Amino acid sequence: MEREYAKPEEYGLADLLCCAASREVADNEVVFAGTGLPMVAIMLAQKTHAPNLKLIFEAGTLDGRPPELPTSVGDARCEMGASRSSGLYDAFSIAQRGMVDLGFLGGAEVDEYGNVNTTCIGDYLAPELRLTGSGGNPDINSFARRTVFIMVHEKRRFVPNVSYITSPGWRVKKWPGGDFVHRRELYGSAYRGGPTAVISTAGVFRFDEQSGRMYLDTCHAGKGPEEIREMCQFDLDISRVNGETKPPTREELRIIHEVLDPDEIFIPKVKKG
Amino acid sequence: MSTSKRITLQQAAEVIGNGSSLTFSGFTIWRRPFALVYELIRQKRKGLHLIEVNGGPQTEFLVGAGCVDIWESCWVGHELYGKYGANLSRKVAEKAIIVEDYSHAEMLFRFAAASSGAAYAVTQTSLGTDIHNPEYDMLGRAGLRDGSNPHIARHKYRFTDDPFFDAGAQVLVPAVKVDVAVMCVQQVGEEGTVRLSGQYYSDPEAARAADITIVIAEEIVPEEYLRREADRNAIPTFDVDYIVECPFAGHPTGMFGRYDVDGAFLKDFYGRTRTQEGFDDFAREWIFGLDHHGYLEKLGWPRMMRLKANTALNYSPREPKGGK
Repeated sequence: MEREYAKPEEYGLADLLCCAASREVADNEVVFAGTGLPMVAIMLAQKTHAPNLKLIFEAGTLDGRPPELPTSVGDARCEMGASRSSGLYDAFSIAQRGMVDLGFLGGAEVDEYGNVNTTCIGDYLAPELRLTGSGGNPDINSFARRTVFIMVHEKRRFVPNVSYITSPGWRVKKWPGGDFVHRRELYGSAYRGGPTAVISTAGVFRFDEQSGRMYLDTCHAGKGPEEIREMCQFDLDISRVNGETKPPTREELRIIHEVLDPDEIFIPKVKKG
Repeated sequence: MSTSKRITLQQAAEVIGNGSSLTFSGFTIWRRPFALVYELIRQKRKGLHLIEVNGGPQTEFLVGAGCVDIWESCWVGHELYGKYGANLSRKVAEKAIIVEDYSHAEMLFRFAAASSGAAYAVTQTSLGTDIHNPEYDMLGRAGLRDGSNPHIARHKYRFTDDPFFDAGAQVLVPAVKVDVAVMCVQQVGEEGTVRLSGQYYSDPEAARAADITIVIAEEIVPEEYLRREADRNAIPTFDVDYIVECPFAGHPTGMFGRYDVDGAFLKDFYGRTRTQEGFDDFAREWIFGLDHHGYLEKLGWPRMMRLKANTALNYSPREPKGGK
C-alpha cells in the first residue's frame, strides 16, 4: 500500500511525535504504555502496522485492546477487551521477567547517555522544583529491551549531566562511589538493552550501543542538524544524520483525530484556515 | 458470625492516630478513599508517615493540610489534570516534609514483601540511578534510621550479589511497615470480604501489609452474596478489621463501574493550591464545615449524575474526557 504523506500545514508537532513514536513499535511486541501521548502512539501502531502488539498498562492490564483511548492507565477503558486485568504485581513482574520489548517514557531532562530525570530540577537536596518523581520510569527502563523517550526539546532539557538520574541510560552510576560505568556492568543477567531513541520536538535521536552516546538520526521538517546541535548543552553527534523525520500519513492523522483522540485530550488538531 | 466490623467515617479516622504510618488503595487518580482523607484533615491529624506504592490527589490534600511529616513513594501528580504535586513540591522547598524516593516497582515489591511476611524484597530495578545514591537517603540524613522508629528500616536499601545463580547485582529493599491501610472499593461483605472490580492495582498487597485494614465501600452487601462466587473476591475477611459504607467515598478520584474521575475538580484543585493560602482557601470551601453528605450536596446531583458510570461500559460516557 502506498503511503500518502501529509503536507506540513496538515499536521502539528504532536502529530509528528505521535507518528514517529508509533513507528518504533514492531508487530507482535510486548509494549508498556504510560499515560498521554505514548498511549495514543501505541494504539495508533495497534490500528496500523502492528495489530498483534501486546499492550501493557502499568496499573494492571495485560494484552489490552481498548476500543477507546483511556484517559490514564488506571482508567476503566484500559481493560476492555484485555487478556487479563490484574494489578501492579503482574505488570512489574512481567517486566522483571524480561517479557517487555518496548517501553515509552518521558522526562524533564535527558543527558548524552540517555539518563533521564523526572524527580527534581536543581540539587536534589535543595531543589529549585520538585517534580512528580520516578513513577515506573526507571523500572521499565531497567527491564525493557528498548525504551523510547518522548520529550519537549529545549536547550535546558538536553544537558551534559541530569540533576538526578531517575531512569538509567547507557552510562550510569556505580554505587557507593558513583563512578560512571556502562549499564551492562551493573545489570548482570537483567541486562537486555536500554534507551534506543529520544523523540523530541526537534528530531529523532538514537544511541550507539557500544559508547552509549546519543546521536542525531533525523531532523523534523524545518530543523537542520546544526540548529539542533545548538539546542543541546552537550556536543551532539550529528555525523550520522539520516535525513528528515517522515511526516504523518493522512491515514495516521485520520486515526489519531477521528478514532483515537477526537476530543483532543492529548493531541490538538491543526486549526484549519 | 463475628462481631460487627461496621464503624462510621469519623471512627475510621480516629483509628489513625497522630504519627501513624498509613497507606491507601488505588492508583494515581483512581479509587482513593477521599471521604476518609477529608475526615483526617478535619480532625487535624499530624505527623503521618505516608507510605504509598504511588501517590496522587490524596497525597496532595494531606500534605497541603500539613498532616504528613514523611512521604515514602515514587510519584505524585494528578495525571492529565495536573502534571505534578504542587503542594508536595512547596513543602519540599520549605523542608517541611521528608521525602524518601524509591522506584514504583521497588515500592510495589516492598508492599509485596510485607504482605507475605518477608523482611525485604530483592530486585534488579533502578540500578545505577540516584534512587540508590547514598547521599540521598533522606531518612538516614534526618537521623531516623537508628532503629528507634518501628516504621523506618535501618537502611534505605542494600546491595548484594546473587549467591545462587550468579545473576549479578541485586537490590534489597525493606518491607514496608504500615499501621493502617484504608481501602476504597466497590463492595464489602458484612464480615469483610472485599470484591474489587476492574484493575486491582496493589490493593491485595496493601490490605495484607498493614496491621489494621479499614475498608470503605460503596455498599455493604450480604456475605452470602459474595461467597457464591468466591473466586471473584480479592481480599478475605481476616485481612479486614473495619468496614464503612460510604457511597462516592472516592470522589474526586474515579471508581471502575461506579463513577469517573472528576477531572474539573482536580484541575481546579491543582490550579488553586500552588500556594498555602490557595490550599487553605480550597480546604475552607470543600473540607471544613462539611461532612460527607454536605460535600456531596455541595457537588450536587447534576455533577454526580454526569460522573456516574454506565454499568455496561464501567465508565461514564457523559463525562467529557480530559475534564474539559
